[in-house]
Amino acid sequence: MSTAEATAFIGTMEQGTGWFCFPTKRFKTITLHAFWINQLSRQEAALGALLPHVMQRGTTSWPTFQRMEQTLESLYGASFRADVGKMGDKQLLSFHLEIVNGKYLPGHPDTLTQGLEFLYEVLEQPLTDGQSFVPAIVDQEKDLLRRQIQSLINDKGQYALTRLIEQMADGRAFGLRKLGTIDELDRITPQSLFRHYEAVKGHKPFVLFAVGDVDPKTIERFMARYQTRQADMLEPIAPYTQRFHDRTLIERQNVQQGKVNMGYHTGITLTDLRYPALMMYAGILGGFPHSKLFLNVREKASLAYYAYARVDAALGAMLIGAGIEFEDFDPAIQIIGEQLDAMAQGEISEQEWEFTLRAFENDILSEEDNPSQIIARQLEQILMGGGQSGTALIQALHNVTREQVQEVAKAVSLDTIFFLTQAEDVQRQEEAQ
Amino acid sequence: MSVMNQTLENAAIGEKRIQTVLSSGLTVVVIPRPGFHKTFATFATRYGSIDNAFHDPKTHDIITVPDGIAHFLEHKMFEKEGGGDAFDDFARLGASSNAYTDYTSTTFLFQTTSHVKENLTVLLDFVQSPYFTEANVNKEKGIIEQEIRMYLDMPGDRLHSNLMKALYVNHPVRIDIAGSVESIRTITPEDLYTCYQTFYHPSNMILLVIGDVDASEIIDWVRSNQEPKGYAFQGPVVAVYPEEPSTVHQKHVEKTMVVSMPLFVMGYKDAEVGLTGKALLHREITYGLMWQMLCGKSSGLFQELYREGLINDRFYARYGGSTTFGFSALGGETPDPEKLEARLVEGLVKAPLTQEDLDRAKRREMGEFIGLFQNPEELAYAYNSLFFRGIDIYDYMDTVQHVTLEDIQQARSTHLQEPQRAVSVIRPQNP
Repeated sequence: MSTAEATAFIGTMEQGTGWFCFPTKRFKTITLHAFWINQLSRQEAALGALLPHVMQRGTTSWPTFQRMEQTLESLYGASFRADVGKMGDKQLLSFHLEIVNGKYLPGHPDTLTQGLEFLYEVLEQPLTDGQSFVPAIVDQEKDLLRRQIQSLINDKGQYALTRLIEQMADGRAFGLRKLGTIDELDRITPQSLFRHYEAVKGHKPFVLFAVGDVDPKTIERFMARYQTRQADMLEPIAPYTQRFHDRTLIERQNVQQGKVNMGYHTGITLTDLRYPALMMYAGILGGFPHSKLFLNVREKASLAYYAYARVDAALGAMLIGAGIEFEDFDPAIQIIGEQLDAMAQGEISEQEWEFTLRAFENDILSEEDNPSQIIARQLEQILMGGGQSGTALIQALHNVTREQVQEVAKAVSLDTIFFLTQAEDVQRQEEAQ
Repeated sequence: MSVMNQTLENAAIGEKRIQTVLSSGLTVVVIPRPGFHKTFATFATRYGSIDNAFHDPKTHDIITVPDGIAHFLEHKMFEKEGGGDAFDDFARLGASSNAYTDYTSTTFLFQTTSHVKENLTVLLDFVQSPYFTEANVNKEKGIIEQEIRMYLDMPGDRLHSNLMKALYVNHPVRIDIAGSVESIRTITPEDLYTCYQTFYHPSNMILLVIGDVDASEIIDWVRSNQEPKGYAFQGPVVAVYPEEPSTVHQKHVEKTMVVSMPLFVMGYKDAEVGLTGKALLHREITYGLMWQMLCGKSSGLFQELYREGLINDRFYARYGGSTTFGFSALGGETPDPEKLEARLVEGLVKAPLTQEDLDRAKRREMGEFIGLFQNPEELAYAYNSLFFRGIDIYDYMDTVQHVTLEDIQQARSTHLQEPQRAVSVIRPQNP
C-alpha cells in the first residue's frame, strides 16, 4: 500500500450533520453516498421508503425522469440509486452515486464536481410546487412501491429471514419492514410526502461519504452549504432484548425446498468489548466453509446446500439459516443444536480457531478494496456509536481467548425458529427438462 | 513453445497486463492492482454446461454425458484423495475459495490478503488432481439436489430457464446449467473422469491473477509448478452441438409460482452464429448499445412503459453472445404481460434511433467498462469470458467508439425478427 493512501476516514459529524472522506488512488471511480437517518416507525416507514423514489424522478434543472437519466448517461454512465435501507431500528434514506474519475476519461472532465452538484440538486431541489410533490409521479411511485412490498414473497430465503426477525421483534421497531406496509402507503398524499421531505431535510441526521481519489477539502467546502443546519442528534441503535425462548413457528407455502431460520439473542453488539469474541464464536460455528455448520449439515449429512451462522452487529442477534428437505427439519435442528453444544463445551480444534481467525483477517482487509464496503463499515460505527474495524478489529480478534468464546456461548440463547415448508396438500413436482 | 512474458498496455484508462503461454499451452495473465489488499485469482476452463457431447480426444468417438455434469465436476474437484478438501487448504492459508459453472466455462477461484504464491499452488494442484469414487460422487448428489431445488424456488431463475427452453429447439443451452435432479443421479465417477481428461487440459485453460503483485515472480512461480507435471500437447477440444434451426421452439411458455406479480421475459435468438474475436465483440457491443437506445432508462419507450406502470426500474434488456449461440433477453415484473409484450413488439421497431442517443449510450458503455477494472471479481469474469471467445479486452473501448448508427439500425432489422422471438411468463398462484 502506498503511503499517500488513507487508512481511515477524514471528517466529522456535528449537530446531526456530517461528512466523511476516504481518499485513495486504488479506485477508478468516485463514490458519493448520502444518507438521511430516521427512526423506524409504523407512521413514517412507508413515507421514508417512497420519498427517495419520488425524488429521483425529477429536479428543478432536470424536470423529467428522462432528463435525469440522460444526464447520468452523459456523465459516463454514472450509476445513481435512491432507495431505502435498514439497520437495527433505523431507516436509512440512501442516495448513492458512483462516477468514473475524470482522469481516465477523454478530456479529463471534473466528474467529482459534477457528481456533487447532481447529488445536491436531487437532495435540495426536487420537483415540487412548494407544497407538494407532483401528484402523477407520487401515484406512479406508490404503485411501484406497493408491488415491491408485495414482492418479498418472491425470494424465499429473504422472506423467511424477514418473517423470523418480525416475529422476534413482536411489534418493536427493529422488526418493521424498511418499505413500510401497504396500509400506510395508501394513506400517503403528495402533500404529506412533501411535509415528510421538509421534516427529514430540515431535522434528521444527514451524512455524506466520499471514497476515491478525492481531496477531503473539496468535500469539506461542499458541506459548508449545510453549516447552519440544526438537525436532531443521532441516537445510537438500541440493541434488542429477548421476549421468547425456544419457540418454533411454521409457515406453509407451495415451495420446493424448506428454509429453516433460527434467531438467537446474544446481548453483544458492535460496541461491546465481547464483540470480537462473538465474531469468533459465530465464525467457528457457521461463518465459513470450514465451519461446524457447513461441515456437519452439508458435508457430513448432505442435508443442505447452504448452512450458515452470522451476527447482526446492530441488534446483538445471531442468525442461523439452511435450505433443507421438508422432512429433514428434525435431523437438521438436532445437528445444528449439537454444534452449539460443542461450542458451549469448548470443543474447538486448533484448526477451526486458526482458520477462522485468518478468514476474518482476509475478509476485513478485503473490504477496504471495495468502496461500498468501506462506507458500510463507517456508517455502521456511526449508527452504533462506536466499534472497531480494519486492523484494530483484526488485532482484537487475535487477542480473543478460548475462555472468552466459551463465555459468549453462555450468553447465546435461542429465541425463535422459523420454518418455511411445503403446503400440506401440495405434492412436489419434479420438473421435466 | 513457451513464450516470453509480454506486457500489454492501455494507457488511456491506466491499465496494463502481463501474460505468457506455458509449454503445456496454459495461458497465464497478471493484472496489477496497485494499492489493493486482496489478490483475486481464477483458474478457468473453456468447458460449460453446453458441452455435453464431444469427440473423445483418443478414439475420436462422439461421447454423450448426463446433463449438469460440468457443474457436478466443479463441485467434486474440491475433494482430495486421502480425505480433506481444497477449502481447508485455502482456509489454512487465510484465503477464501469458490467456483462457478456457466454455459461455456467453469471457474475456480480464491481471494486472499496473504500467501499469494502458496494459494496459487493450492489452486493449481487441486484443479489438476481429480479424485472421484463411487462413495464421494453419491454423497454429492444429495447436496446438488438441494442446490437444484433452491433454484426451482427462484422465480427469476425459472423464468430464464423456460425462456431458454422456448428459444432453443436442440442446442444444449436450453438445459439448466446444474441439470436436473434426475440427470445428476445417473452421473458416475467414470463420466467425471472422461469429462475431466477432455476439458481440463492446460491448453484449454487460463490462470488469471489480479492484485498488487510482482507479475514476473507470479509467472515464474506458476511455471515452476506446471513444468514438472509434464503435460503433453493436446489439440483443441472439439465439442459437438446439434443443428439448431433459426426459428424458436415455442413462441410462448408459462408457469405458475408463488410470486406477487407476473414475471415477464422476451427473448430473441441469433439466427446466425459462429463468430469469434473482434467480429463477436463488435456484435455484442452493437447489440448492447442498441438495447440501451431502444429501451434503456433514458429512452422514450422505457419512460412511457414506466409511467403506465407496465415496468419498474428493474426492467432490463441485454444481449449475450458466444460462438455457438447468442440471444437477447428483456423483461421484469409487470402487472400485464400481454400488454407489455404488445407494446414492446410495436415500440422496439418504431423507436427512433438518433446519433445523440448513440453518443450518450457510448459514454455510458465506456464509463461502465472503466469501472470494471476496480472490481476484481467482475473483471475476472469479463476477462475470462472475452478470452474464451478470442477477444482482447483492450479492443473494447476502440470497438465502442467505432460503432455507427447504421450498425445499430442494421442490428435492429437483423435481430428483432418475429420467428426468432419467444416469451416466458411466470404467473402468481396462491401461496
